[in-house]
Amino acid sequence: MTTPTAWLTVARREIISKLTDKTFLWSTFGLVAIIAGIFGVQAFMANRASEYAVVTSSSAAHQMAEQVKTVTEEDHDKTTVALSRSDDDAAAQELVRNGDADVWLHEGNGGWVLSGKTDVPGDLLTSATTAIRDEVMGVNAAAANTSVEALQRGSEVSTALLDVDADRAVMAQVVGFALAMLFYLASFTFGLALANSVVEEKASRIVEIITTKISVRELLAGKVIGNLVLAFAQMALFVIVGLVGLSFTEFDRFVPAISGAVGWFTAFFVVGFGLLATLWAVAGALSSRTEDVQVTSTPLTMITMAILFAALFADGTVKVVLSFVPPFSAIVMPMRVLEGSAPWWQALLALAILVVAAGLVVRVAARLYQRSLLQTQGRLSLRQAWSTPE
Amino acid sequence: MSTHLLEIDGLRRSFGDVVAVDDVTFTVPGGQMTGFVGGNGAGKTTTMRLIMGLLATHGGEVRWNGSPIKTLDRRRIGYMPEERGLYPKQKVLDQLTYLGELSGMTASAARTSIMEHLERFGLEDRAGERVEKLSLGNQQRVQIIAALMTQPDALILDEPFSGLDPQAVDSMVDLLREHASRGVPVLFSSHQLELVERLCDRLVVLAKGRVVAAGSVGELRGVGPVRYRITLGGDAGWLRDLAGIHVHDVDGSSALVEFQDEAARPALLAAAVDRGDVLDFARRIPALSEIYREVTS
Repeated sequence: MTTPTAWLTVARREIISKLTDKTFLWSTFGLVAIIAGIFGVQAFMANRASEYAVVTSSSAAHQMAEQVKTVTEEDHDKTTVALSRSDDDAAAQELVRNGDADVWLHEGNGGWVLSGKTDVPGDLLTSATTAIRDEVMGVNAAAANTSVEALQRGSEVSTALLDVDADRAVMAQVVGFALAMLFYLASFTFGLALANSVVEEKASRIVEIITTKISVRELLAGKVIGNLVLAFAQMALFVIVGLVGLSFTEFDRFVPAISGAVGWFTAFFVVGFGLLATLWAVAGALSSRTEDVQVTSTPLTMITMAILFAALFADGTVKVVLSFVPPFSAIVMPMRVLEGSAPWWQALLALAILVVAAGLVVRVAARLYQRSLLQTQGRLSLRQAWSTPE
Repeated sequence: MSTHLLEIDGLRRSFGDVVAVDDVTFTVPGGQMTGFVGGNGAGKTTTMRLIMGLLATHGGEVRWNGSPIKTLDRRRIGYMPEERGLYPKQKVLDQLTYLGELSGMTASAARTSIMEHLERFGLEDRAGERVEKLSLGNQQRVQIIAALMTQPDALILDEPFSGLDPQAVDSMVDLLREHASRGVPVLFSSHQLELVERLCDRLVVLAKGRVVAAGSVGELRGVGPVRYRITLGGDAGWLRDLAGIHVHDVDGSSALVEFQDEAARPALLAAAVDRGDVLDFARRIPALSEIYREVTS
């Protein structure tokens, strides 16, 4: 019979104390920077402009170089080719040697030669080969009274894909792994912080003051909800940065599909995180000192790891089964939705099971939390905590 | 002035086979300071935790103004636990505001009350500091503010004076008296008997989980046998031979005596005057520490 907003006050304190914690802010900022960095590098690499300097030492070569320039610039959007002429072969070689030109185009070996200093840029070579072959073939065809088209007729090779979804499967896997990783990070870092803050309250005995004012359940609810809101906000930030980043890369066509699946991830994240966070709070309540948390939280560390491994490695039937089993379903099911292997009713069913499981866990956890919160001598086993009188 | 009443009736609590609190009964009337004394492990802290609902009772009940105490009543009680602690990394004002809000105050009302209390303790310029930066004595003052800032209906304070310097003890005493004079029951435990004697109107003495004495200080003083100190002009050794009196102690010309019947008193005085001078004859008021030793022995 306390104010209905007591949990809200607790949740607000949790959020504010996190938001004023430099470690939390820097780690969030750091991860955002890494995500932005990954996509930034990708986008930069894809959009990098390049310029090639080609030198020639004869007018025949210069004419051929004009052809090479045209084809290369047609083939590669951001590439330009600069042409220059040298008086003789030695001068041209010298320009390449001292880096003023990338290649020297000249005749030799019964054809044409591109001489570079240590290498010849691949895209320039590909385009040059096409340009020179077409040019020379045109001349040869004319000499033989025919045309290039006639010579090439029927020789085109094209490709076709029977599995058009292959791309999407790869994308689903990559995005799924990324989200599984984020879920793992969030439940682990927030969980551990939550356990530690419960121990802090126990160790400083402020919990004695708080629980004379509000009920233990309200305290637990406030702490879990506060952390959930923060974890969710952090995760949303990462996902948004990721999606914006993705839209700048060549994979931008996947953004709509991923955005759709994020809805399912959100629902599963909220419930799954709530379930785990409550257990982390119990792990904190079972210990009396920060040092003990490592021991009391070991089972949880294992569970979180197991969820991650299930997300990364589960396959076939195992994956289908795990997508219904809490707490694995929290991440495995939305991954299946993303890859398109689970219909909406399966997702809904898994979510319902997860909600029921979370409800049960919260009830059990509240009892454990309540009974162990005022025990300040050493560590408690689950059995002790369960049977301790209030 | 409305006066509240806190009654503890037959309270029991055991931990495993150990009975920590055994049929503890006493009242804490409003407007009075009730001292709660007893040795280590006597059950003071457990009793206070039972009153605050932090532990479940195994028998008996706590009554607030005549009816069994409810959660909402407890929320109106200022409580200071024995082992002090606040969030070490949170700022003083933020932390106290949080506790005030949990007690049902609005944030702004809480802040006003906190700043008034901080000023009283000369800590107003430390409001923005983290609790861990304060000295232990100042941390304790902050903790006291946490208990008092809501203008509580009762105060349950476990060892509120331990760790305070004499000056802080005095300002704390003033503050508690103010609250008592609002009609609020104040129960505090302490090891410092002379402080309790100076401070409290009533006393509850606990030993091995049981109440061995409870009542006003005057009442408790009346519990023990009445003794008189007599100082004569010469040696007092002859007093031992008089009938009807029990001599506890003779030190030269001075003696501590107890009369076994009323008639022995004038007889002794007459005999003393007969033999010479009587410099001093007074009823001796026992110190609280003596009463304490007597009731707990």
